Amino acid sequence: MTTGLTLALLAVSLLAGVTYKLFHGRGHRVLGAEVVDLAKLKVHKNGDPVNEFGSKATLVLFSTKYCGQCPAARRALAKLAHRHGSLLFIEADITERLDLAAHFNITQTPTIFVLNHRGEIRYRVGGTPKTNTIETELAKLGAL
Amino acid sequence: MTTTGHIDPRGPRFGAAITSVLSLIAFALSLEEARLAYITVVVLGILFAWSIISPGTHPYSLVFKKFVRPSLKPPKELEDPRPPRFAQQVGLSFALLGIVGGLFSPVLVSVAAAFIFLASFLNAYFGLCLGCQMYLVVRRLGIIR
Repeated sequence: MTTGLTLALLAVSLLAGVTYKLFHGRGHRVLGAEVVDLAKLKVHKNGDPVNEFGSKATLVLFSTKYCGQCPAARRALAKLAHRHGSLLFIEADITERLDLAAHFNITQTPTIFVLNHRGEIRYRVGGTPKTNTIETELAKLGAL
Repeated sequence: MTTTGHIDPRGPRFGAAITSVLSLIAFALSLEEARLAYITVVVLGILFAWSIISPGTHPYSLVFKKFVRPSLKPPKELEDPRPPRFAQQVGLSFALLGIVGGLFSPVLVSVAAAFIFLASFLNAYFGLCLGCQMYLVVRRLGIIR
């Protein structure tokens, strides 16, 4: 019985790991076109409050202090935005902003939103995005 | 990059791998040798507390620095120590569940060991980060303020 239960624990953990690998970082299209309220988001960039969206698209990264995968996501998105002028990248630290987490129903970080030029949420990814998911969405919006 | 206080991200994963082995042993023992299992969970609790209080002197960290890191390439990037610290706090709270609960019901030792195993196994081998997956859920449920 000991061996059986221990093997069962191993099997459950392996299954959880494989499921995590498969589904983590998969994005999906967002219907309803909610416009992100920048005044409510209260994010800053280079010390100035952000009150305009990118001319073609905006990437919003939701992070927390305890998120080990956020720095890598931040670097990747910042690099994209650096290369493409019509793209704005902003980050909202929601460690203490549970109101935002509740409003956007965010349960994990990093969570990334792709907004169009009007600031409507078109796509979201929970977790570190799989290769090229963000790029594909940005290309659809003409931001690349 | 030499940002002070930042750590090699492979260190915590190395520690999680050892924790996963210890907690699997604790789980297997808890079904037969309750005393030994209890002791193993106490040891896990001490190790978690140690890495929260003084991560620099932790035995995992010393082994990693002395034997593992020299044979690895330099890290591509250093990471903020807060996420792994959060993971250690989660580990400690499960260990405490086993240590305190185990005095009343031996089942809780098994439960604690199973949770510690699941979390450390996913962290070490699948790169799942507890601070990323759990922090908001726990906060939104209002468990930690």
